[in-house]
Amino acid sequence: MSQPTASGPRLLASYIPVSAGPWLSEADQVFDAGTIFDYIDGAGEVYRSYNMRHLVARRFHKDGRPDIVVDAFDMGSAADAFGVFTHDLDGADAAIGQGSTYKAGLLSFWKDRYFLSVYAEEETAETKRQLLELGLTIAAAIPGAGEKPDLLRLLPEESLEAGRVRFFHNHSVLNYHYFVAADDILRLAQTADAVLADYRESGGRSRLLVVSYSDPAAAAKAGASFARAYMPDARQGAGMSTGNRKWTAFRVRGRFVAVVFDAASEEGARARLDAVERLIDGDKRGE
Amino acid sequence: MSHRTITRRDFLKVASAAPLAGALAPALARPAAPESKVRVVLVRDPSPLGTGGAPAAEVVQRMLDDAVRALIGDKDVVKAWKTLIRPEDVVGIKTNAWRYIPTTAEVEQAIKRRVMDAGVGEDRIAIDDRGVLRNPVFQKATALINARPMRSHHWSGVGSLIKNYIMFTPQPAAWHGDTCADLAKIWDLPEVKGKTRLNVLVMFTPLFHGVGPHHYAKEYTWEYKGLIVSRDPVAADVTGLRIIQAKRKEFFGDDRPLQMNPHHIQLADTRHHLGVSDPDRIELVKLGWSEGLLI
Repeated sequence: MSQPTASGPRLLASYIPVSAGPWLSEADQVFDAGTIFDYIDGAGEVYRSYNMRHLVARRFHKDGRPDIVVDAFDMGSAADAFGVFTHDLDGADAAIGQGSTYKAGLLSFWKDRYFLSVYAEEETAETKRQLLELGLTIAAAIPGAGEKPDLLRLLPEESLEAGRVRFFHNHSVLNYHYFVAADDILRLAQTADAVLADYRESGGRSRLLVVSYSDPAAAAKAGASFARAYMPDARQGAGMSTGNRKWTAFRVRGRFVAVVFDAASEEGARARLDAVERLIDGDKRGE
Repeated sequence: MSHRTITRRDFLKVASAAPLAGALAPALARPAAPESKVRVVLVRDPSPLGTGGAPAAEVVQRMLDDAVRALIGDKDVVKAWKTLIRPEDVVGIKTNAWRYIPTTAEVEQAIKRRVMDAGVGEDRIAIDDRGVLRNPVFQKATALINARPMRSHHWSGVGSLIKNYIMFTPQPAAWHGDTCADLAKIWDLPEVKGKTRLNVLVMFTPLFHGVGPHHYAKEYTWEYKGLIVSRDPVAADVTGLRIIQAKRKEFFGDDRPLQMNPHHIQLADTRHHLGVSDPDRIELVKLGWSEGLLI
């Protein structure tokens, strides 16, 4: 008879060690999308917006030293684990998992469908060392690896700032990274996939937003909604100066909407949209 | 129905884009009104903070007393409190027990002492946060004192006085829509409507930026050592928000917007009419330590 295999929170918990140097772990707490607010209040909305399945929180304690907390999220898919990791990209690359940052006593990384936050309540040289060791141990215990969202393939590589790419489904998260409008004028509605990327421009930075909808009709509606609210006096594909001597332009192609914000010139905005369109057509995913 | 959303382009028309998410740009919402100003008192003291994050109890009592005297305009602190609280009141002190920056026992006890000085028996006073709906004193409360720390917040931009009443709702998460835009509507619930006599925004060690699921790093706090006191929670919150924004500018070197737009503060004024968010309509009284005031 075979042994039952761990699954869900038990499997996730099995990736976290029971001690971290002299720190010993306390009992795990387990939360899902309905109970996460009991643990981190409104911050839970970020993880819910990425479709979190459950969270295993394990606190490590050592008298006289700051507590260390491991928050391990099962996001259900590698795309959403990557996405929630991109919510906060500030910090130094810690070379852990499939992408990581470290800053101010917080190590974040993703691997497969998991997102990990390893956190010291106060940063010291010792806690920093311990956090990095814990992260390496957990990452090594997670057996698989995941794919980044397919949508990232629609980002033209020229001038792309690879470390500043965000993936999300929600207009509040879009506004967190780049305020577009108070309302959900792009109709993301928690059902679309969206990627926002920074591009180097002469004298600044432009943004490219690409949104994937369920079908071309949904994309067409979203494009019309965006045009009506944001640039009612411009036709699709044409650029519009937005008052800061920068240019915005958008295009609907199949089930995708692409928008360039803050381009240095109208021609530059149009060229980037052309490049996105070529990538869509090359993948034949816009139909 | 015609509803016109505010977009980035609207902000670009009135100012540079940088401060748009945090600054709220009141001019977009409505012209300045000529009504009388509401008073907000900011009191600070340079005394050292204890391990719990508050100054010594006697310092906190003095700060609160000075603020309430200035707010009410009476040199006698007990008389001032008697204009806020009646002896027959049942009083709930709504505190905040967030692990990293709580209201602090020093503030809670300073408030409780003056409520008792106003004539309320100890058995008719309760201090609570997450248990307010089950607390028998809060269930019978005729008066509330709202006291909590100021901090940046992962979803609502900032967590401050308006947001502190979310625990009066059975499902707090139900108020998270549009990044907590309509939190002020909570103040219309029967548990709280018309009961708040004083708001105390604790600014001992405010959090001006957050990281990770817990949205806390000590690096992003500083010892401001202040209290903001007002009868108007919106005016107090917007004053605290201005200090947070000034600190972010000082720390980051630019007008970096808060991670989420704290629009619930302005909407508390313009949509829900809970109080005043326009700094031009706030009389800010500054008392005590002025170094690093930021406002």
